[in-house]
Amino acid sequence: MSLTPQLLVVKDLSTTFDTPAGPLAAVGGVSFDLNQNETMGIVGESGSGKTVLARTVMGLQPRSKVTVSGSVLLNGFEVVGASDVEKQKIWGLQVAMIFQDPMTSLNPVMRIGRQIDEILRVRLGMDRHAAKARAIELLELVGIPSPAERYHVFPGQLSGGMRQRVVIATALAGSPQLLLADEPTTGLDVTIQAQILNLLDEIKERMKMSVILVTHDLGVVATRTSRLIVMYAGRIVEMGSTRDVFVNHRMPYTRALLDGSPKVSNPSHTRLLAIPGRPPNLLKLPPGCSFAPRCSFATDRCHKERPELQPANTPGHTFACWNPLPTNRGASA
Amino acid sequence: MLLGIIIVITVGAFYLIHLLPGDPAVIILGTGDSPANKARLYAQLGLNKPIYEQYFVWMKNILHGNLGTSFISETPVWTTIKSAIPIDLELMVISQILAFAAAIPLAMRSAKRPDGPLDRMLSAGSFTLLSIPAFIAIVLLVLFIAIDLGVPHTGPSSYVSLGSDWIGNLESLALPSFVLAVGSFVVYYRVLRSDLIATLQEEFITMARSKGISQRRIMWRHALRPSSVALLGTAGVNIGGLLAGGFIVQYLLDIPGLGYTLISAIGYSDYLVVQGIVLVVAVGVILINFVFDFIINIVDPRISRE
Repeated sequence: MSLTPQLLVVKDLSTTFDTPAGPLAAVGGVSFDLNQNETMGIVGESGSGKTVLARTVMGLQPRSKVTVSGSVLLNGFEVVGASDVEKQKIWGLQVAMIFQDPMTSLNPVMRIGRQIDEILRVRLGMDRHAAKARAIELLELVGIPSPAERYHVFPGQLSGGMRQRVVIATALAGSPQLLLADEPTTGLDVTIQAQILNLLDEIKERMKMSVILVTHDLGVVATRTSRLIVMYAGRIVEMGSTRDVFVNHRMPYTRALLDGSPKVSNPSHTRLLAIPGRPPNLLKLPPGCSFAPRCSFATDRCHKERPELQPANTPGHTFACWNPLPTNRGASA
Repeated sequence: MLLGIIIVITVGAFYLIHLLPGDPAVIILGTGDSPANKARLYAQLGLNKPIYEQYFVWMKNILHGNLGTSFISETPVWTTIKSAIPIDLELMVISQILAFAAAIPLAMRSAKRPDGPLDRMLSAGSFTLLSIPAFIAIVLLVLFIAIDLGVPHTGPSSYVSLGSDWIGNLESLALPSFVLAVGSFVVYYRVLRSDLIATLQEEFITMARSKGISQRRIMWRHALRPSSVALLGTAGVNIGGLLAGGFIVQYLLDIPGLGYTLISAIGYSDYLVVQGIVLVVAVGVILINFVFDFIINIVDPRISRE
């Protein structure tokens, strides 16, 4: 499909948590790949398994009470089944994560400079002065004013937006090839969201990284990603180029997601269409399509048999649905 | 506030000791002496005045830096206390070093796999130790170490001062330090273990993991500090308690620290020595808690900011 070698190949990846109520399938049978220097989006409602998927791709799931199967090849390194000590070699330097909530993801009792330059000192063996100088550069890169003074403050002395910039600077410190951004702007207000996302785009280009952008906000991924994965109940239900997913989507869930997000073209005060019902209980998934109980197009088959991903008209565009939306729908819209 | 606490404590101690049976005049003069002699001695010692007046005289002298002179041993109270304090400090330092040195790494091991085999073993063991009173532990240890194993300097009546022979001194303090350390260890281990388990669930620990730093570094650099507020608070109270509460250990093992001196002084109705020690211990406990509050503020900058 592409001439550049693939940075990431995920095959049939499943993550199951052992809970007192039984096994919880947070991610089931997910396969996708990611090219060098590509930005891919993963979208879905909260609880759809996006965050767990991102963490499993990195191998960062909790150490106990989790079963992971399948394969994640990152630059030829098999993440699934590797021990923490083995994964420590790629963490931070080949793959890094921007965490969702800047209020909880920074160590509250450690000066922010220390948190950024830890990776430089411990992993890259830089001496204290070089690491500090580089950390201050990173703080400047992510747009923190007077970085040399901020180097010494504690996270509690910064606003949410500033903290998220620190989280980003920390993720960038090891110059990773793959950056997993897990809802990087959810906790922030709208103007700061745009700033942070633009900053990420800019840094991605400058540092030649690949990015997986996890979000529930379709507005965030629309212009920034080349491909999109739509997840529902831990599975991929539609995947393709961002344009295909937005315009030629076949899966009713994708349309429901799009209908549920505000559009600039709508007149103001347009009522958004909410998806009826709730996401399914991952402990008791229905035998058929997980979305069937909430889907207005569902047939008997949808409730009984689970649809696999099947190719759509455009190469690379796949969807999992027995009763897909007609293809020309997007063209007329 | 400091002053208020000290006044309350010293008034209380002053009042209580006068309630105790025992008469210093009888101890000094013997039982057979005439009432006239007794009255003269009372007047000489100032014991004929009302209690509150005695207290004010005592307080006035304290403010002049004078703890008085024991009317039993006729040595200045400060001299007695000064010779006992280093023993308490030594016991405190050694026992606390031992307790922390054991509690921190073991709590980390436990917290790494809560409810794992090691954690269960340590929790059960620490609970058993917690429920054995110090005086029973001491007797058992003396029996075992000093008598069964025949190790010198571990039995009672063998205290060697630091100045004369420091190896002998450490040997003679090994047993009491150990007993005090075990008591502290159990508490520190349990407090730190539960806080570490909570901290390790935090998102910033996952973020630290994502940097690819070692498990060891995550424990020591990222998890320990935010988990140690309760530990330090407990340690402050506990060390204060050791100053006052090492009595049993000192008494049973004949270690002439403050606790031992205090118990003897109560036996002789040596009011001034009792009062002096109560005052010194009260000040010591308060100072230790101030020091620990200060340390906690440094360790966790969130506390002073909020």
